[in-house]
Amino acid sequence: MAYPYVSDREVRIISKHFGDPTQRRLETYVERGGYAALRKALGMSPDEVVDTVKESGLRGRGGAGFPTGVKWSFMPKDTSKPHYLVCNADESEPGTFKDRELIRWDPHQLIEGCLIGAHAIRAQHVYIYCRGEFFETTQVLARAVEDAYAKGYVGKDIFGSGLDIDVTVHAGAGAYICGEETGLMNSLEGRRGQPRVKPPFPAAVGAFGMPSTINNVETLCTIPHIVANGGDWYRQYGTEKSPGTKLFCVSGHVNKPGNYELPLGFPLIELIEDVCGGVRDGNALKAVIPGGSSVPIINAEESRACALDYEGCVAVGTMLGCASVIVMDETTDIVKQVRRMVDFYAHESCGQCTPCREGSAWSAKMMKRIEDGRGTEEDLDTLMQVTQKMVGTTICVLSDSVAAPVQSSINKFRDEYLALVRRGERVGAA
Amino acid sequence: MSDVPFKNPGWAGNTGDFDLTEKEVRGEDFVGDRPKHGGHPSGSATMPYMLPETNPDARLFEGEYQERFEKILTRYPSKRAALLPALALAQELRGYVSPESMDRVAELLDLSPAYVRGVATFYTMYNKAPVGRHLVQVCTNISCNLCGADDVLTAFLEHTGTELGETSRDGNFTVIEAECLAGCGFPTCVQINSQYFENVTPTEVPKILAHLKGQGNG
Repeated sequence: MAYPYVSDREVRIISKHFGDPTQRRLETYVERGGYAALRKALGMSPDEVVDTVKESGLRGRGGAGFPTGVKWSFMPKDTSKPHYLVCNADESEPGTFKDRELIRWDPHQLIEGCLIGAHAIRAQHVYIYCRGEFFETTQVLARAVEDAYAKGYVGKDIFGSGLDIDVTVHAGAGAYICGEETGLMNSLEGRRGQPRVKPPFPAAVGAFGMPSTINNVETLCTIPHIVANGGDWYRQYGTEKSPGTKLFCVSGHVNKPGNYELPLGFPLIELIEDVCGGVRDGNALKAVIPGGSSVPIINAEESRACALDYEGCVAVGTMLGCASVIVMDETTDIVKQVRRMVDFYAHESCGQCTPCREGSAWSAKMMKRIEDGRGTEEDLDTLMQVTQKMVGTTICVLSDSVAAPVQSSINKFRDEYLALVRRGERVGAA
Repeated sequence: MSDVPFKNPGWAGNTGDFDLTEKEVRGEDFVGDRPKHGGHPSGSATMPYMLPETNPDARLFEGEYQERFEKILTRYPSKRAALLPALALAQELRGYVSPESMDRVAELLDLSPAYVRGVATFYTMYNKAPVGRHLVQVCTNISCNLCGADDVLTAFLEHTGTELGETSRDGNFTVIEAECLAGCGFPTCVQINSQYFENVTPTEVPKILAHLKGQGNG
């Protein structure tokens, strides 16, 4: 039996061994060619590794899409201070479930990527910040790290190169905001996970006040394949500006939800109709959130025109984010779902910046009032005004993430809101 | 190994689809209903099962726990960074993070008690009050919600006879709503103590509860 669902449209590079628990074993991983890329990378200078990654055009998979090689090149070359590589495995964006799968099916792939990344940025210590809820995942990863230490792939003098790299698995304690890179660093240091003001950027002052780079799990998992096969090889997939493959986490009203690794630029409608077996029960498509709950909702018409890469999503007024495609069919109560998302952000706001702390709570109250049929048309305008003032006025982008679903849903599904405020009518309610 | 009556694609050993047992995947010391040593030593923080508070006046970390605490300290360049793992360890030991536990952790790490409380209350996973032996966290965020998470939550509340956030009279179950657990493709996702239960439907809820009661913890 294959991993929940697979499709022949997929290009499985990092997800090749999903569903095969033997892959967790170090012997199996090495037998299948694992740690060869690390050996190759250690034979190269750090700058050569960075250049290879730059050539590949790999863009950070955590949501922002910043080129990884460029990010690495910001790290200072002088090593008088310790450097840290931090892997962001605090996956908590609603709709995203790729990092947990990457770690628990193929932990050594991540460890190898971390070691290559550490070599590239001249770091001696890697912290893998796992989400606190991921007990099983953390155990699998921690076991894999121990195995790698025992065989000398991690630790002192790796492959006789004279390089020492340590890997520590760190577990969080339940806070969405710790997925923001500076919030994560604060949390790693034993503080409240409140994001820091930038600049200084992490490459100058990061974890423990030292130069640091933070990369997403998926980014680091891709690194061994790029180093082994070269930057040009990676560019054969995807588009000119968004090269490579990406894991798409499809959830919601589709027949076959799951993780699918596809070249970037893949048409959204084919992902839903073909790869995922269509919308459930043969229902009509109503709306899609293509990048996790923080990006604007698009309607069925826009989703037919949407290509899944960083530029293609912007062209239809949304963002690729971390490619968490949430599909909603015609029975969906949009107001209820948006209310649920706003509740989430109100709960997870760290409380540092006033627009976010107050704005998310106000929005949540107004959304609840509207959902309960006690809202007015004025509430819709107030919601728009409040959320407009939440964009770009805070330290991190959690605040903007409240605005995205609220504004886009009011603009695109105003009828549904109006039906609720005028007559208390709800779509899809039993 | 227990026969878990529901499908869970990633949980090796439970479905019979995988050739590794749970034991092989996670190591000897992770198996068992109440692993005293709390899981694999390289995990910086684990909370396999809630243990009841036995003696609040005892030293916070002793024996195996002291060893794990010392190992945690070696991993970070600053003592403060051990705070989150230390609180997790305290919670594993006592079932929740009491004000007294926070004070002890503060002493151990040379931090002020106020600072430790400030941090502990920021994070949702530290229970600030005792919870049931099984903490049932039902994800009701968007992806699970689209696929009927509200019904699963209602089923858990009905079958345990509790209110949201309350502990059942027999002390077995506390049911709460959780934010996205990163199992969106396998809705509804429910976390019970350290374990994920995926693809949960309301009809499976009684089976899961019976399974938990049969674990010896119930």
